[in-house]
Amino acid sequence: MARVLILACGNPLRCDDGVAWRAAEELSRLHERDDVEIVSRHQLTPELAVAVSQAETVLFLDAGRFGAPGEIMVTPLQAQPDAPAFFHDVSPQAILALSRQLYGVCPRAWMVSMGGECFDHGETLSPGIEHRLPLFVARIADLVRAASATEAQPTGARADSQG
Amino acid sequence: MEQRKTIVIDPVTRIEGHARITLHLDDHGEISDARFHVTQFRGFEKLCEGRPFTEMPSLMARICGICPVSHLTASAKACDALLAVRIPPTADKLRRIFNMAQIVQSHALSLFHLSSPDLLLGMDADPAKSNLWGVAERDPQLARDGIRLRQFGQQIIERLGGKRIHPAWVVPGGVSEPLSSQDRDAILAAIPEALGIAERSLTWYKTLREKFREEISTFGNFPSLFLGTVKEDGSLAFYDGRLRVGDATGQIIADNLDGARYFDFLGEKVEPWSYLKSAYYKPKGYPDGIYRVGPLARLNVADRCGTLRADQELAEFKELQRTAVLSSFHYHQARLIEILYCVERMEQLLHDPDILSKHVRAEAKPNALEGIGSAEAPRGTLFHHYKIDENGLVRWANLIIATGQNNLAMNRSVLQVAKHFVHGDRVTPGMLNRVEAVIRAYDPCLSCSTHAWGEMPLRVQLLSARGELIREISRP
Repeated sequence: MARVLILACGNPLRCDDGVAWRAAEELSRLHERDDVEIVSRHQLTPELAVAVSQAETVLFLDAGRFGAPGEIMVTPLQAQPDAPAFFHDVSPQAILALSRQLYGVCPRAWMVSMGGECFDHGETLSPGIEHRLPLFVARIADLVRAASATEAQPTGARADSQG
Repeated sequence: MEQRKTIVIDPVTRIEGHARITLHLDDHGEISDARFHVTQFRGFEKLCEGRPFTEMPSLMARICGICPVSHLTASAKACDALLAVRIPPTADKLRRIFNMAQIVQSHALSLFHLSSPDLLLGMDADPAKSNLWGVAERDPQLARDGIRLRQFGQQIIERLGGKRIHPAWVVPGGVSEPLSSQDRDAILAAIPEALGIAERSLTWYKTLREKFREEISTFGNFPSLFLGTVKEDGSLAFYDGRLRVGDATGQIIADNLDGARYFDFLGEKVEPWSYLKSAYYKPKGYPDGIYRVGPLARLNVADRCGTLRADQELAEFKELQRTAVLSSFHYHQARLIEILYCVERMEQLLHDPDILSKHVRAEAKPNALEGIGSAEAPRGTLFHHYKIDENGLVRWANLIIATGQNNLAMNRSVLQVAKHFVHGDRVTPGMLNRVEAVIRAYDPCLSCSTHAWGEMPLRVQLLSARGELIREISRP
């Protein structure tokens, strides 16, 4: 059972929207451990509630549409039932709510995002985001280490744009 | 000037894609006509022109995020015809498993995620609760079953195809990689749980079915033709076989039809009010050649399924009506029976001694300039028809998708439901939901790659013939 689940969400064919996927690839090289599971998806779907329910900590990774490009945000998430308008609009909070409702478990969860600059068609990150990708990965790795440590918790909600 | 009133449901919720429904009222406020409009345009038939035919399976898979495997399969079969090859037997079996996994996950999505709120909570339930979270609150086991069943199908697709959405594993001439023993064993290990869910869900559905007698009698309950694929012995088929047409009495009126000759017996009509073409059975003309495809049609035209448990369920299903099973409400039950069949059949195929064979692809260059592939998608029979030039570039393509073949029936169904439930200018959420629910029974896939799910913003407007707003009800 993975203690930490990393759920990267985005579209790698839309430039910076793929930053979570790129981070997930980097993290896969860093964390070849049984207690860290890394999953990349274009969208969040209800089936992910199963994997979420089996984790102690979940880190949702995504590109941020708001905030300054390259800004890294870490936001704690609470379970919240949802009535999504579109399939790809199922929120992390709604996934957590399903996990709690169906499996009786709601793991600690954070949204870790980096503000994007360009969401046009393309398979590469914009130069500024590419440059800051290692910082994004390092921040996530810190959170994984904190979550993996006994009784340790990630640092919680705050904006972190220093680098 | 006559004041013609209309009620517009825009968008239709909990379906795959974007559409609206217009209900036309007569002078007495009664429903006089109804139309189901598909408001989006994809254009894949044109945009693939000029591409190498070898790209077609992967390109066509992009048509849809819910049923990419069906387009992949039909496209690969069309490309097999261009190569003029017979694919290796193991590739044939693996493609069948792949397609059935798709049927399972797509049917699970339709029944559990999109329609179960109507079935479990009722047609008049609070729209804010008519979603998966409402189902999870009322019946957690049902919600867990839906999630698990869909996951079961998706995981098979991921194991075989490398990824669960837009896999490119099916290629002209076969499949790109053989099945590993590890993946075979993992899929087999999950079969008992999937079988249990399928059987439990059928029991659940049949228990509550009695609550919907009024809906059963009015949800697309009219005579029509039915089209589906069967094997040589007349049993249910999804990947390959001959096409069969049955009528409303349950009689087979055309049998042993060749999918590669679809243009001999199927026509398409374009109506100015929808981007969705309407298919019809040519011998009956338009619109009398109205026919239905998909689970209801397949079970109506098949003599049997071909597996033990599904055959028992099919025998019971065929008792629902003395004629063919006409009510489109019964699409739901047909969907569950097909899930059961697919799980049973996949288990049989995975035990085949040749299933791990490494010979899974026939290599060839194009040997024909025209190729047609057909297969059964979750929503019905799917045709891909390509013409290429001597350089292997696509010069023309025609796609006949299942939802288009159900277009006439969906329109007639909306009219039937509206005439029964809608009177005057009284617009209630329950009435609206029934008009939408009959569309959900068909599980139309409109956007192909856009997935609508849950409570979409809904606005119902009552307009005069001059477009003046008489009344509006909306939900965020």
